[in-house]
Amino acid sequence: MTATTLDAPAPAGDVRVTFPRLLRSEWIKLWSLRSTAWTLAITAVVIVGFVLLITWGMLDANEMSGNSEDVNALDAFGAVPYLGPTAVAVLGALTITGEYTTGMIRSSFAAAPRRLPVLWSKALVLAVVVFVTTALAVAVAASLQALMFGSRGASVDLGDPQVVRALIGNALYVTGIAVLAFGLGVLMRHSAAAITTTLGILLVLPILFSLIPWEPLQDLTPFLPNVAGSQITLTDAMIEQQAGFTGSVVLSAWQGFGVLLAYLVVVLAAGAWLTKRRDA
Amino acid sequence: MIEATNLTKRYGAKLAVDQISFRVEPGTVTGFLGPNGAGKSTTMRMIVGLDRPTAGHVTVNGKPYAEHHSPLTQVGALLEAKAVHTGRSARNHLRALAATHGIGEKRVNEVIEMTGLESVAKRRVGGFSLGMGQRLGIAAALLGDPRTLILDEPVNGLDPEGVLWVRNLVKYLASQGRTVFLSSHLMSEMAVTADHLIVIGRGKIVAAGPVKDIVAQGTRTSVRVVSPQAAQLAELLVGPEVSVTSDERGSLVVHGTTAPAIGEAAAAAGVVLHELTPVQGSLEEAFMSLTQDTVEYHSTMGHDVAPVAATGQEATR
Repeated sequence: MTATTLDAPAPAGDVRVTFPRLLRSEWIKLWSLRSTAWTLAITAVVIVGFVLLITWGMLDANEMSGNSEDVNALDAFGAVPYLGPTAVAVLGALTITGEYTTGMIRSSFAAAPRRLPVLWSKALVLAVVVFVTTALAVAVAASLQALMFGSRGASVDLGDPQVVRALIGNALYVTGIAVLAFGLGVLMRHSAAAITTTLGILLVLPILFSLIPWEPLQDLTPFLPNVAGSQITLTDAMIEQQAGFTGSVVLSAWQGFGVLLAYLVVVLAAGAWLTKRRDA
Repeated sequence: MIEATNLTKRYGAKLAVDQISFRVEPGTVTGFLGPNGAGKSTTMRMIVGLDRPTAGHVTVNGKPYAEHHSPLTQVGALLEAKAVHTGRSARNHLRALAATHGIGEKRVNEVIEMTGLESVAKRRVGGFSLGMGQRLGIAAALLGDPRTLILDEPVNGLDPEGVLWVRNLVKYLASQGRTVFLSSHLMSEMAVTADHLIVIGRGKIVAAGPVKDIVAQGTRTSVRVVSPQAAQLAELLVGPEVSVTSDERGSLVVHGTTAPAIGEAAAAAGVVLHELTPVQGSLEEAFMSLTQDTVEYHSTMGHDVAPVAATGQEATR
């Protein structure tokens, strides 16, 4: 008893800001807002729901056309990179813009006036929470797929490292987009602006690039954040297939994800530089 | 102890704070008094590192605020606008702030109790009244049991009971040896709360010192004299330093001399006095006269000598 009391640090002397404590603070902040649970729940439901629906549809189409070949169960996860990031993009942006629009940022920066550790702890907590949620959703989707459609030959082969990489890749990609939205939120400080910009990058830019008949744009398309980043959700075999019907560069899974990470580094570095300089 | 040296903040073309230097001593309540837009909030934001000074610097207990390892135990700040996420409960807001310093739940409960927020602590802040918001801001400021408190307009939006509560709290905190720095545009509030005053107008400090001295400096003490021979006495007293005004028959208000001097002059001339009363100016008057100068000065600049003002600014850069 006495020994424990002696070993314990004096509570008064230990009151100071540390990075683990900032992480804990951001954890409390994240979970004490209703929007967090909502956006994460929507993301999980959308992932599980669409994977199952698409598997069902693929099997029906296959059987109706009398195709005897098995469907590729991993194809059903193709919806994840398109539908998964929408809600988490909102969550990522709001994590920081919500503080700016309400004035909370002044409390946060008054408590931790070095500012940048606040940004990094926010980004880290966001990334971990989004990754775990998406990975769990993908795992649940794969399990239910096997349970419901496994007898009809539609279940992912978890013994194949390529398949496992692609499944985890879904969670990595969705997390990357959440952090991209966060970074844009740091830069813009306005919820609507950050969310619109992120969704514009995800949904509008690829369409725009394919519509404008100007060669350099076509060459750049593989390097768009979402086009590059989502390569990680495909197996190498699928990426090879992709190379078959496009004339432009095809990035490998990790090259593509590397490009997305490069965007994140640039956006976060610019955000950090501005955060340090701007008045809160 | 807060020490500002040549602190300056410029927003675009507007000079919000203009080379101010001041010191806030521990163990006293120092009032920061000025009209709206005088630069009070900007100065306070610069003290806690939220706004970056254009020039000059400010330290808290010997160091810039951002260099303290435990900022919340150095300074507790209640800043002007709400600084709380509206979607979070009061309790979670305090828990999140406390967590940054490893401050425990026990202290969170203490400040909730101290500020009388028990009944609403679980409610979302978005639905709070202005007064509840102020109490929450004060609770947050007290979290780290700080040596210095900075309160920007703390009585704003509070009911009379709340105003009294803030006044007593502030005095209590100062009596424990803490530095308390609070701003207000309400002179009456300062008169009863503050020991020392820093008066700011248009980004410049127009007066600083104990409340008594500010009142003396900012107002001319006058003497009220009632006499049946008022006209004769007025003639007797008027001089280069002394002015006499008369608002009613037989009653004079004399500026620039003292009651004993008037009494002696009257006795020497054989003038009968019915009343001889020194009138102490109020903080209200002091404030008006101190800040009026700065306002008038600037409006003149704007209308008549704008080009000169512009070159003047070039020169200071």
